[in-house]
Amino acid sequence: MSSNVSTSNGLQRLTAQLAPLLIVCAVVFALPVLLNNDFLLNKVARYLVLGILTISLGLSWGFGGILNLGQAMSFGLGSYAMAMALKLKTIPVHTGASGLPDFMVWNNVQQLPWFWVPFRSLPFAIAAGMIVPALVAAALGWFMFRGRVTGVYVSIITLATMVVINLVIIDQQSYTGGFNGITDLAQLEIFGVAFDAYGRATYYLVAGCVLLSLLVAFAFTRSRAGLIVQAIRDHESRVRYFGYDVALYQIFVFALSAAIAGLAGMLYTVVMEFASPTFLGVQLSLSVVVWCAVGGRQSLVGAFLGAVLVAGMQGALSESAAFLETWTLVMGALFVLVVLFLPKGLAGLAQVIWRWIVQRRHASGSVAQGVGQTEGST
Amino acid sequence: MSISRRRLLRNTAAFGALAGAGFPHIWIKNADLAHAAGGEIKVGVLFSLTGTTAIIEESLNKATLLAIEEINAAGGIKGSKIVPVVEDPASDPATFSEKARKLVVGDKCVSVFGSYTSASRKAVLPVFERQNNLYWYPTLYEGRECSKNVIYTGAVPNQQQDEFVPWLIKKFGKKFYLIGSNYIYPKEENNYCKKLLEKYGGEVVAEEYVPLGHSEFSSVINKIRSTQPNVIFSTVVGDSVVALHRQYRAAGLDPEKMPMASLTTSENEVAAMGGEAAAGHFTSAPYFMVHKSPENQKFVEAYKKRWGADKVTHFVSEACYFQAYLFKQAVEKLATSDLTPPNIRDAVKGQETIAPQGKVRLEPENLHTWLWPKIAQAKSNGQFEILVEAKEWLKPVPYAAYPGQSCTEKGLVEKS
Repeated sequence: MSSNVSTSNGLQRLTAQLAPLLIVCAVVFALPVLLNNDFLLNKVARYLVLGILTISLGLSWGFGGILNLGQAMSFGLGSYAMAMALKLKTIPVHTGASGLPDFMVWNNVQQLPWFWVPFRSLPFAIAAGMIVPALVAAALGWFMFRGRVTGVYVSIITLATMVVINLVIIDQQSYTGGFNGITDLAQLEIFGVAFDAYGRATYYLVAGCVLLSLLVAFAFTRSRAGLIVQAIRDHESRVRYFGYDVALYQIFVFALSAAIAGLAGMLYTVVMEFASPTFLGVQLSLSVVVWCAVGGRQSLVGAFLGAVLVAGMQGALSESAAFLETWTLVMGALFVLVVLFLPKGLAGLAQVIWRWIVQRRHASGSVAQGVGQTEGST
Repeated sequence: MSISRRRLLRNTAAFGALAGAGFPHIWIKNADLAHAAGGEIKVGVLFSLTGTTAIIEESLNKATLLAIEEINAAGGIKGSKIVPVVEDPASDPATFSEKARKLVVGDKCVSVFGSYTSASRKAVLPVFERQNNLYWYPTLYEGRECSKNVIYTGAVPNQQQDEFVPWLIKKFGKKFYLIGSNYIYPKEENNYCKKLLEKYGGEVVAEEYVPLGHSEFSSVINKIRSTQPNVIFSTVVGDSVVALHRQYRAAGLDPEKMPMASLTTSENEVAAMGGEAAAGHFTSAPYFMVHKSPENQKFVEAYKKRWGADKVTHFVSEACYFQAYLFKQAVEKLATSDLTPPNIRDAVKGQETIAPQGKVRLEPENLHTWLWPKIAQAKSNGQFEILVEAKEWLKPVPYAAYPGQSCTEKGLVEKS
């Protein structure tokens, strides 16, 4: 039996690591069966989308060591890509079919701007919703990581870039809808399936994307590139001395994280039925960091659950009459407690509990084994 | 559609167990409650209590609750109490949308009173249109909206400007400097202003938009100095109003020669900037706190008694107050079994009530409100002095700047 241990160990560890991921996804998929209420499903779907966004940050922050304070930028770009496509599918009130979106009419735009035209195609929009954020991130990463910018400066640059894009969107209202965002959208339809914000189809779409994002992120962290990225996080110059192109790996994880955030953004537009500059606002962007910290940034499932639980709790607290006035205080206190006492977040706590259980089992198991051996020897 | 209570409980319990202790209150109470069950009529109250627009929206929340409390104290609506479900959308459009869903789909409110900014109204609009519910919007806004699911009780551009612009030209001169925050509301107001200026022989010396929340107006003030307009026509909003007034005063400009004429400066903003900075400038609105009428006296006294003697009422909180009474009148017309949002909408068409500003009427065609335009000058004590009062109430024309279009009961119509 002992000879098997080393070979089965890797597999065992893989299943142990995959188990929480699959359990969480199973629960997510099972929810509609238990929860016979479209409104609650829609609400949960929203939290799940925020969960995907937090997974994406967990990837770059927890595994790549890149604290991106502007994660919502990718999210917002994805959200606008989807909103542009869905806006072009509506029949404008003011100009009739094939007319311009209403806010362009309001701003006296005469012709659909060139960068809107390809969004008439939904496949293009969906691709753009991930590729554009990834490219923007890659370009930004190129300058930062090639220039060996690290630590807090990365955070400042990402935050500032997001604020700039946010301001541009608000300012260019004739092309973006400005402060009000892009509202009054058509329903997403893929292969004849209409994704109503309150429908099960939308919920399963979101749930499917949760599974996909978790698996992609998980696969990446276990790949060779993923391991190198983690090595860079732990000791950048040592990895560089080994001859690896550190910046290239950083750019890659940064762009991958942006693409996942873009996917989340697109889903958010479908679930919320509008896009708004607040989707790439500082408030949301910092909330994601908090969710990630609470859930545990070095665990993808932890980050995901952190977002779902904290955003859910925030919604619930602010809706209860008892906490209507004080819910922000309660949330603040919770964050402080987690940061002080659970530096690895809820995932860290779960790990500690899990280890404790395993150890106890192991302890009792080894005693039993020992007894068996002595019995055998006699 | 209707799920048995037991099943709901079981599902709730099962999911609650799955989610752990994290979700204490997410589960809607009364999921299968009818709209007016048990002598209760549920309405949503959706104004931000936290976040960037909390100061003004809190006063809207208070005025709405005051009216509801008064109606309930006077016996409710045909014996049913109005139960306000208060939510805090935290000045965030996405949260507005989430809470609107909760109120409409979860709590099954028959109407929701809410929103200050256009952005938040636009964010909740899909919810109300899809669920065919009713949103009561008390704020002055840019018009150009024609939704069957919104009751608009604030002023649209024609109700604030038709009288104001010619009066300003006559009193101060024809050179206008247009300054606004950079979003759709100021742009639309200015579109209409430019039409009026053309009609009355005025001219625009500059049209400028500053970012929302902008607080550094020295370059604007330099430009004002160099262009020497007769009137500074201001549609800046929020904290920018305070900054603009203070810096205008600090620069030593004189309101007697070059006043600011605002569509957005209310008692609330004046309280924030201090009466000294506001003194001498003009605002056009349907309501001011100093307006003399028995209804207003009652409103102001009740408001101060309920929320504090230092509190002010203003043209948005007044609309919050009277729209709750319009709601009451509409519900009174309906049998309890007919209490649905579309029926309330039909019942409120043409309803009249004596509001603090005067008698108002809900226009059946476009669901906007007939109001009483007034022009007033700010005083250093933080109040206004009303200089001009309209002799007649004014019809709301949400598409006033676009003569080819009009909002009717059937929706937006293009006139040929």
